[in-house]
Amino acid sequence: MKLITYEERAVINKDFGEIWNTKMARNTIIILPVIMAVFLPAMYLVMIYFLPSEKMNGVEEMLKLIPNELSYLSIQQSMFYIMSDMVCPMFFLMIPLMASSVSAACSFVGEKERGTIQTLILTPLSLKSIFKAKVIGCTILSVIATAISFAAFTIVISIGDIILNMPFFLNWNWAVLVLVLAPAITIFGVVFMVLVSGRSKSYIESFQAAGYIVLPVIFLFIGQFTGLFQLNAVIFLLISLGLVIIDFVLWILAARSFTPEKLLK
Amino acid sequence: MYAISAKNLTKSYNGSTNALSDLNIDIEEGTIFGFLGPNGAGKTTTVKLFTGLLKPTKGECSVLGMTPQENPCAVHSLCGVMTETARMYIQLTGIQNLEFFAQACGIKKEEGTKRAQELLKKLDLWDARDKKLSDYSTGMTQRLSLARALINRPKILFLDEPTSGLDPESAQSVNKMISSLAKNTGATVFICTHQLRYAQDICSSYGIIEHGTVIAQGSFATLCENIGCKIKAEFRLPEGDKLEYFNKNSDWWQTELQSEDEMPKLLRSIINSGHEVYEARLVKPNLEDVYFEYTKQKKVSL
Repeated sequence: MKLITYEERAVINKDFGEIWNTKMARNTIIILPVIMAVFLPAMYLVMIYFLPSEKMNGVEEMLKLIPNELSYLSIQQSMFYIMSDMVCPMFFLMIPLMASSVSAACSFVGEKERGTIQTLILTPLSLKSIFKAKVIGCTILSVIATAISFAAFTIVISIGDIILNMPFFLNWNWAVLVLVLAPAITIFGVVFMVLVSGRSKSYIESFQAAGYIVLPVIFLFIGQFTGLFQLNAVIFLLISLGLVIIDFVLWILAARSFTPEKLLK
Repeated sequence: MYAISAKNLTKSYNGSTNALSDLNIDIEEGTIFGFLGPNGAGKTTTVKLFTGLLKPTKGECSVLGMTPQENPCAVHSLCGVMTETARMYIQLTGIQNLEFFAQACGIKKEEGTKRAQELLKKLDLWDARDKKLSDYSTGMTQRLSLARALINRPKILFLDEPTSGLDPESAQSVNKMISSLAKNTGATVFICTHQLRYAQDICSSYGIIEHGTVIAQGSFATLCENIGCKIKAEFRLPEGDKLEYFNKNSDWWQTELQSEDEMPKLLRSIINSGHEVYEARLVKPNLEDVYFEYTKQKKVSL
């Protein structure tokens, strides 16, 4: 049995074209990763490289967040470590989350909004196949955006590591984040949007709902600066596990809500 | 086995009023069935039930022996459906749209392109094949939707207002295409329309629906017979002359006939009785007369 049938592949290709032709979706998929994975880290690197550390506010408080085993790092190196290991993961996770949810908004809600979902349902494709093709399409697009972003991010941070004479940034935290948490977040973005699509009249409206799912990610990473906890590979793994369970439940709920009567309301 | 069949098919959207009430219908294969009624009568709801887009509140329906709600994919693989609400992709060109729907129907790429080209030529869209759908006029979009419904060579075609928004020439070419499809392939066609003139040109059987209830069905002859719509003989005489027991309609004196065979005898008798006849004609009832007669009688009975 094929993982993706010929008919499902046709839907995936059509969805790629449709998402790419939607200005807002295209801009989000291109501009957001450029800002989050390249622009912000690069700006920060330039800032800490050229700005004397004594002129920065709150440096002492921030240095308290550095683990003891890295106490040998200079102020400049420590500031870059905080950025690459504590702030950038938050920026980076925005990419799969936003890319998947904007793709899903365009693919599911957009199709409903434009009245083409009925035509698609009237083809011999089963609802299960349409659902599967759309979820796979959005996931692939998001994974591609995330992978390219990570490659670009790696280049920027590696340049920083070389300039500041620091060890290579890639560690277990990043490995778990990229290989486990990002895919789990991608699926979450898609299925969450499918569920929201039932209540949204336009894809802009559903895309606004994606804003709510960004908030927990921001709170999670900002929370580190209170000093109460510090995110690490184990916590990322536990969060991923929780997300996989949530993904599974949401997938079932989303697939159940994917019926002609609900879609054509 | 009937191509399309329904037994007590009922649909209510709100639980209190029925959009469709107790539809009983059996349509033979190869029939072009005209489902006539005003907007909001329940025609689109019926198509949605037959194509599995809706679940009936009561009763059952089948398409080529299959229940659309239980086996929608099999029904869709044998059907072509064109409704006003089933739109196509505006960012794709005409040919890209057809190629996509061919692939979604499982037709291989080369074959799908060939079929799309054939339909675009037949429906006079060849010159606009590479234009985006957003640049199509209403009539062109309508014809492309028909091409999409025909892409998988359907055995049954459900058409909801196929000629609405079309200019007379396009409407005529669409009608010709539907007729030739039914004739050449033996496909069954279920057409919902309120354009009675076009329906009479192509349909072999009819159903009249009003407020969700079918008030009449059968061939044109059956519909005429059941409602008492008869052929009329009309005569124009010199001014001041009159015919006993005839009705006056403008300049014409008219009477109903059982069949057109009675006309020569009637004309002879009028001339023999000393009347000068300037003009004589037979007026056959058309679908519009029959339709309005049924709806009028329904109102009277209410």
